[in-house]
Amino acid sequence: MVLTWIIIGAAVLIALLFFVYYNKFIRLSHQIDNSLAQIDVQLKKRAELVPNLLASVKGYMKHEKKIITEVTNARKALVGAGDDMGKKLEAGRKLQSALKSIFAIAEGYPSLKANENFLHLQQELSAIEDKIAYSRQYYNDGIMSYNVSTTTVPGKWFAGLYGFKKREYLKIPAEQKVVPKVSFD
Amino acid sequence: MQQSRLVFHEEIRKNKFYSILMISIVFIVLIALGYVIALAIGGDYFFFILILAIIISISYIVVSYYKSDKIAVASVNAKRVHADNPDYRQYHHLVEGIALASGLPKPKLYIMESPQINAFASGRDPDHAVICFTTGALEKLDKTELEGVIAHELSHVANYDIRFMTLTAVLVGMIAIISQIFLRSLFFRSIGGGNRKDNSNAVFMVIGIALAILAPIIVALVQLAISRKREYNADASAVKFMRTPTGLIHALQKIKNNQEMKVAGAVAPLFIAQPTKQKEIFMTHPPLDKRIDRLRRM
Repeated sequence: MVLTWIIIGAAVLIALLFFVYYNKFIRLSHQIDNSLAQIDVQLKKRAELVPNLLASVKGYMKHEKKIITEVTNARKALVGAGDDMGKKLEAGRKLQSALKSIFAIAEGYPSLKANENFLHLQQELSAIEDKIAYSRQYYNDGIMSYNVSTTTVPGKWFAGLYGFKKREYLKIPAEQKVVPKVSFD
Repeated sequence: MQQSRLVFHEEIRKNKFYSILMISIVFIVLIALGYVIALAIGGDYFFFILILAIIISISYIVVSYYKSDKIAVASVNAKRVHADNPDYRQYHHLVEGIALASGLPKPKLYIMESPQINAFASGRDPDHAVICFTTGALEKLDKTELEGVIAHELSHVANYDIRFMTLTAVLVGMIAIISQIFLRSLFFRSIGGGNRKDNSNAVFMVIGIALAILAPIIVALVQLAISRKREYNADASAVKFMRTPTGLIHALQKIKNNQEMKVAGAVAPLFIAQPTKQKEIFMTHPPLDKRIDRLRRM
């Protein structure tokens, strides 16, 4: 009698484990997909802000044609990257480094640096850079916990059963986190 | 990098374990107290009062739980700041960034007028979270320092600390109420004259009185110890989000120069640093030097 109860208890426990692990893998997969979507959102915002930025600097930087074309081309590459996240990230990184040159050049134009609109765009773009870095970090955190749970026992057995495979980290070189001097006054 | 990661994961795990241990202690004290008192006065009518006390304290807690964010914000006179306010754009950007790093929804942002550097988080779950910074903190901290403090506050949200501390407060409050009822009922019984003579009760009576006096003090101290553990925990999680302790360390060093702040006792544990100065055992937060030291070792 006692033995039957033990067997029933063990069976229930094992059945529960099947649910728990399935849900865990699904939840982590969603988390990973969602953080990738967040990166995408930020990249789009970056691409949208660029034309405004160019409009605000054009009047000042008449002799800097080269860098302006560079930014325009990088933006085109980002918009045209389609659905390939790797390509998008790479294009986004190129665009960011081109933008950095613009901001560096802007240092030599005091009237531009005093332009409220330009300052606002500069702040927005540097915030986007941070947000992309944080989203990547969260994405990689998600990959880490997903991979740990699909490669350790007992998760490994369930992962094999359900066909959840190990996933790859984002390999594109990370955007350099600069620390711009920003104050709240 | 890999090494330091392991350390803060370990730190978070250890702190969680201690929190559970401490809340079990509080719970055991509650049960022991109820049991001894029930033996001392002989059951039925005390049982009735006990249930009544539990119902009252739970309903009180439920209300404060659902209103926790609004109560906290109102008690310090904080003002909501929106993203379209150009003065606080940077504040919004930084919080959005850390929210992305932690996978939490963006909390509502508030500011409170004070020249001191401080900040707190409240709200029963991540969807109802609020974060409030003093104007002094926004002025005096630089970007990485602010990020460190934001990460600490969002860790409280992510770890469900508000919920956890509310739960602890319920148990501690219940113990206090039960002790009070017991001690007062003794007073009335002695006026009514000892009609019920029973020697076996006398021993439990003495134990009961001792427990009723000591238990509330003990659990209140345990509650403070839990609160301090949660602070270490939030510091460790902040390092997880930021990948570096530097910002938070610098912020805590600046906070060392803070003057005392006047805030309601109930909100004090929510702040990043204790608003008032006290001996460590009565503190809701560990001393800043100890926190900085632990952060340095991560």
